[in-house]
Amino acid sequence: MDLSGATLILDQMDEYAVEEALRLKERHGGEAIVVGFGPERAEEAIRTALAMGMDRGVHVVFEGFADPVAVAEALVPVLQEEAPTLVLTGGQQADWDSQALGAALAEGLGVPVVAWTTAIELEGDTARAKHDLDEGAEWVRVRLPALFTTQQGLNEPRYPTLPGIMKAKKKEIRKVQAEVRPKVVLLSEEIQEKARLGRILDGKDPVAAAEELVRLLHEEAKVI
Amino acid sequence: MVLVVLDHDGNKLRKGTLEALTRARRLAEGLGEKVAGVLLAEEGAPLEEARKYVDILYTATLGPYTAERWAAGVLAAAKEGAKAVVAPSSRQSRTYLGRVAYALKAGLLEDTLDSSLEGGEVHATRYAYLNRVTQRVKAPLPVVLTVKPNTTPLAEPLGTSAEVVPLSVPQVPTVEVLERVAEEKKGVSLTEANVVVTGGRGMGGPEAFKLVEELAALLGGAVGATRAVVDAGWRPYGEQVGQTGKTVQPALYIALGVSGAVQHLAGMNKSKYIVAVNKDPEAPIFKHADYGIVGDVHQVLPALIEAAKKLKD
Repeated sequence: MDLSGATLILDQMDEYAVEEALRLKERHGGEAIVVGFGPERAEEAIRTALAMGMDRGVHVVFEGFADPVAVAEALVPVLQEEAPTLVLTGGQQADWDSQALGAALAEGLGVPVVAWTTAIELEGDTARAKHDLDEGAEWVRVRLPALFTTQQGLNEPRYPTLPGIMKAKKKEIRKVQAEVRPKVVLLSEEIQEKARLGRILDGKDPVAAAEELVRLLHEEAKVI
Repeated sequence: MVLVVLDHDGNKLRKGTLEALTRARRLAEGLGEKVAGVLLAEEGAPLEEARKYVDILYTATLGPYTAERWAAGVLAAAKEGAKAVVAPSSRQSRTYLGRVAYALKAGLLEDTLDSSLEGGEVHATRYAYLNRVTQRVKAPLPVVLTVKPNTTPLAEPLGTSAEVVPLSVPQVPTVEVLERVAEEKKGVSLTEANVVVTGGRGMGGPEAFKLVEELAALLGGAVGATRAVVDAGWRPYGEQVGQTGKTVQPALYIALGVSGAVQHLAGMNKSKYIVAVNKDPEAPIFKHADYGIVGDVHQVLPALIEAAKKLKD
């Protein structure tokens, strides 16, 4: 995959994290900081978060490929410097399809992780949060600082407004050169679209079509 | 040793665990190492069953699941000399093993389709870019590796019974579990199911999902839903298949009243066979379907249920 020509945007799962940070700030005060990891041109994604309302940004600059544990190692010292009360990040990354970044960061920071969060309520120096398990969900209480991974259902992310975009241009983005020790080597990437049979039946006679479909699945595909 | 996290439901090992065991045995064979299991439990665990699959079995009863407790349990076992930690892939395992990988400074190979030992390093393939790209990756030891469900033959018992070693797991700062919100459990889990029957917006409302459930039950499968459906509150978020939901790879995926948005395809496009029912012949889902019916789902679905019943009889 050659991403050199691609525009790097805010990950959809991270949009929930930005939105939640903004809501918590609006309700409880404090500062909302966006931290981005990636090449120089990833600054655009950080600007989007600033345009949504984040106060300032930190850009951990790294050109090239890094696995999630290596990214976490590079980010931990930066986060320690900022000493956040809550750290929010998307439950899964849309490029690497990794679900590990939040947990790895939490390990590096020595704080608990609440994964796949759908509700956060601050209560003094603790938070009550609802999050998904493999089966079902649960409410937990966690002492802060803590890390939360975010997903759909937590909130409805806002769109950047024009005044927000204008303001974002003047907001500070601190640049940090990343120290990255990759642990995983990328050997190759391949787009593989599975060829499909495309046997589409006419459903004007639903009973006949259903019977034919079940027959095909049983006799031809042998999956039922 | 190669350490396998033996995931279970309190009574028996999960199917994904048997897949992880197969992968672990392959690595262990190449490395000339033993296969150890770590059996972590809230209360009960299938101890006798677990002993049949490994050379040595580490156990700990830790109380309610939290990522921190499970990471501490795996790390306590890994300290005994794990060259690799292998586990079935799930949202929970991918969380606590994120902690474990960081703590061990290990290469993390998530949700792998296969894996092998080559020149002392672990090679694996996995999907990336929302399931659209197949990556080949490699990492030196130690590695933490999770196994995508339905990718690997199930391990057989060894015919021996492993020594059981209780672990001493340190207390760690973690969350306090206040209340579990049980999902209505119907049949098999979505990510492990061989058959998934998904309803989309075309189902028209929550009532129509009774029939989706009926077809799924008949085929021994699980019910899935699209984002539009869970956003509308017709089905729980846990059933969502797609970019912001779960990724499934069953032998048979049946999409009912699903248009086939890119975000939905990302969660199911690797299914072995895809079946679509939609009244719109131009719906994108048909381009990704092996079999399909252009027709009204409210007429086709009851007919499918009848035809499936007939087949069973």
